Amino acid sequence: MNIKKIELFFFGILFSMLAQLGHAEAFHPGGAPGTQTIDGYNALGPKVEQPIEFPHYTHANVMKINCMYCHTYARRSAVSGIPRLDKCIGCHKMIPEVRDRPRIKKLFWYWDNHISIPWKKVHDLPDFVRFNHERHIQRFYFQDKRPVREVCGYCHGDVANMTTARRVKAISMGWCIDCHKKDHQISKVNLKTTNGPNDCWMCHK
Amino acid sequence: MPVKKQESIDTGERAMAAEKRPIVERRDFLKILGISGAAATLAGCGNTSIESGVEKVQSYVQPEDFVVPGNSVFYASTCTQCPSHCGVMGRVREGRVLKLEGNPNSIISNGKICGLGQASIQLQYNPDRLTTPMIREGGKLVTASWDQAMKIVNDGLGKDSRIKGNEIVFLTNSVSGHQKVLINNFLESYDSKNHIAYDSLSTQVGDQVRENIYGYTNPVHKIKEARLILSFGNDFLGAGVSPVYLANQYAQFRKAPRGTLIQIEPRMTLTGGNADRWYPIRPGTEGVFALGLANALIQHPEYDTTLPTELTESLKAYDKYTVGQITGINPDAIGHLIAMMWEKTPTLVLSGLSAEGHQQGYQNAYAIELLNVILGNVGKTVTAPMENPFPQMTHVNGNYQGLVALNNQLDAKNVKVLFMMGVNPVYTAPAFIELKNKLSNVPLKIAMVTQLDETAELCDVVLPLLSPVEEFGTHLASYQPEAIEIGIQQPLMEKLHAHTKSFGDVLLTLLKERDEKSYSKYPDYYSYIREAVVKSKPVFKSTLSDDDFWDSALMNGVLHVPLKEAQIDKVKIESVNLPKVETHPEDVNYPFYFVPSVKADMRDGRHANLPWLQESPDPMTTVVWDSWVEINPKTAQDMQVREGDILEIKSSMGSVLAKAYLFPGIQPNTVSIPFGQGHTAYGRYASNRGVNPFKIINPITDEKTGELALFATRVQVTKTALNEKVVKDEGPTTLQQGRKLVATMAADKAELSKEV
Repeated sequence: MNIKKIELFFFGILFSMLAQLGHAEAFHPGGAPGTQTIDGYNALGPKVEQPIEFPHYTHANVMKINCMYCHTYARRSAVSGIPRLDKCIGCHKMIPEVRDRPRIKKLFWYWDNHISIPWKKVHDLPDFVRFNHERHIQRFYFQDKRPVREVCGYCHGDVANMTTARRVKAISMGWCIDCHKKDHQISKVNLKTTNGPNDCWMCHK
Repeated sequence: MPVKKQESIDTGERAMAAEKRPIVERRDFLKILGISGAAATLAGCGNTSIESGVEKVQSYVQPEDFVVPGNSVFYASTCTQCPSHCGVMGRVREGRVLKLEGNPNSIISNGKICGLGQASIQLQYNPDRLTTPMIREGGKLVTASWDQAMKIVNDGLGKDSRIKGNEIVFLTNSVSGHQKVLINNFLESYDSKNHIAYDSLSTQVGDQVRENIYGYTNPVHKIKEARLILSFGNDFLGAGVSPVYLANQYAQFRKAPRGTLIQIEPRMTLTGGNADRWYPIRPGTEGVFALGLANALIQHPEYDTTLPTELTESLKAYDKYTVGQITGINPDAIGHLIAMMWEKTPTLVLSGLSAEGHQQGYQNAYAIELLNVILGNVGKTVTAPMENPFPQMTHVNGNYQGLVALNNQLDAKNVKVLFMMGVNPVYTAPAFIELKNKLSNVPLKIAMVTQLDETAELCDVVLPLLSPVEEFGTHLASYQPEAIEIGIQQPLMEKLHAHTKSFGDVLLTLLKERDEKSYSKYPDYYSYIREAVVKSKPVFKSTLSDDDFWDSALMNGVLHVPLKEAQIDKVKIESVNLPKVETHPEDVNYPFYFVPSVKADMRDGRHANLPWLQESPDPMTTVVWDSWVEINPKTAQDMQVREGDILEIKSSMGSVLAKAYLFPGIQPNTVSIPFGQGHTAYGRYASNRGVNPFKIINPITDEKTGELALFATRVQVTKTALNEKVVKDEGPTTLQQGRKLVATMAADKAELSKEV
């Protein structure tokens, strides 16, 4: 039986409402071509233009500086924060040979004018999600004594091989839960395993 | 543009496809819809809400070492929301103050804070804050620079001392500390002492009585020491002199052995709601009831205080039947109360606003205070305050006499420059004063505010002040219970608006115009306060260096003067100050008593701009965001009034319209409207909401002190044809939701001495 025009009209409205509900973006299991994250999830983060192209590769890979030397708040606070400007300057004052490079000149311009660098957020969780950096760093870095690049890399990827950081992990709820479901050995001595918490309120509070 | 082109291509293609589209079978259509719908929903479950590279995240340039993003830092300061001046701690994160808590170092707050204090954060972030100075041009207020505004102020003041003495008026609310010192210094530089403190809800009547009897305006009432408190309308848990401190005392008073609270008032206050026994009384007859008790007390065999014979003789007129007839309280209640008073000692008797705000308010308060003397409470539960070594900083309690003084000066047309800070007299002055018209005679009116209120709107220059969490300051509370405490106020964050200034900085700038030599050493108010506090170091017997002393003052948030106790030496009783035994005649034209209520959050309307307070349910009625008329359910039944019926409340001064709320905690022949609403300005949260009861107050004053009798107005109540929903939290029905959740009993039926 053919559908009457008026019925088609109402179905059209219903369809468009449903489409809006779930965004008009098409669904690609495993990610649309070119947008998979390194662990096979959907939606690789965009390339983010930063005011200064900070070379993570030079600092973390070539110079072998511990991530937490600069990102010092990660082990102390729920948020990792961005390194304070005087931290950058503290070292770079002592390295006159790179002072004339464009990025370093820009850095000192901000310092001389006492202006905070307007970095763009690369890993920006929605406001209803509360991720605690301190808890994860204390557990895996200080308690399990795993390498810092591995620990930070669980969520941030291998930043030490990037210039400006890009989101390469999905950081979606399913992705978080996958990790929380895994059995993590309590310590090298205690062979029992434990999982991350799965309470809604642990993250949504 | 490329995007538009793409859109047009898409639209075109879709149109072409539609033409070729085969007719779809219903079953097929549903299949398609099912798959597409599921796909759309699943796409929504992804991480599309993560916005990488959109928001900025800025680092500190050179923060203090203790600053960790995400972790809060607490700074001590002092609350300025009411004259209690509680010590507070501000939680600050990433340079923004987020929450206030009580400061445990403060004797007054003892680590706690009330709703007013909590809501003061909203003064800071209020979207209607004044951010630039304004000046009057062509009859309208327009934004201006500080230079322009201050030029008008300086021109008005006259550099060559043209303005002198009473030609300049500085009108403020109750003030203390270095704000007060600076105001007086500023006025002195113009040979003036014309600082007027005006408070529309003043305790002046009671203060005057206590001053005359004990020699102290604010003796300490030791609530936790008492075993029985008899309160005549004193709402010490709600809108009292120091609610946070007194609520703490009350909590200890209620611990075992549990103290008993008896409240006598025409309209139930928050304290009345907490009482073991609540007696409704005919408004204005509180003093007569107190004397009825006094008469019964002195006849008790255990009574051993010697009162003047003249007084004991005159007390005989107050027998329980006469008193019962006048006050409307069952005569047997006196006997019950007396029995309890002798049993539960020590006692404490308190008078409050609703007992003092009458033509015979002074006599009422006097009679009530007399009970403390007869019961031997002086020196036990009524003691002298500590000695204050800083008289120049002492709290100045504002009162109605301040408004009268201003009114007289305006009538004489002497005033050439009028400064106003922390007051809104155009809103709070009763209609009969006609202040709005009289202010137009003043050539230069300057308001210093954080938000444009009714008074500021009429001014010629409006200066935007810092909010209390951006300011420095020192404060001495009006009620100093256990030690003299100086509250140190410090900024909890950088100022939000570049063109706002501290009150102290404005006054220092003005003072420098007059006396450059003395004040040039202070580049700003901070340096002035710092030096003043450091100079006072010897009083605190501190051995710290100047820097350390200042730092410790900021860290602790309070400075305590070492205890120097004073005692009430003599009690002076005069028999002439007794309220008259006369039946209060009924007024045929205005048959109802009007007892406006003072809400713990709104007070006199100064906090109506804070939405947290607007949405906090009134503790007695749970009504929010509005005004209402409380009327006794029996009266309402007689008048066929239902909840929400719009009633017209009319006094000889004017009328207001408000929704009826059936409230059993009010005398049958009394109606009540809370103060605080009915603003015509003062920002989006305050304006055009409810009615202002100040405007229908009759011109009756206390015979002795001249204070406005706020609770002596008579009104007529008329039901209109309109009805509106009362927005309240308690649900559709009143009276314990129609269920007897809390058992109550008529007070005259209860045998108090057995049951309490």
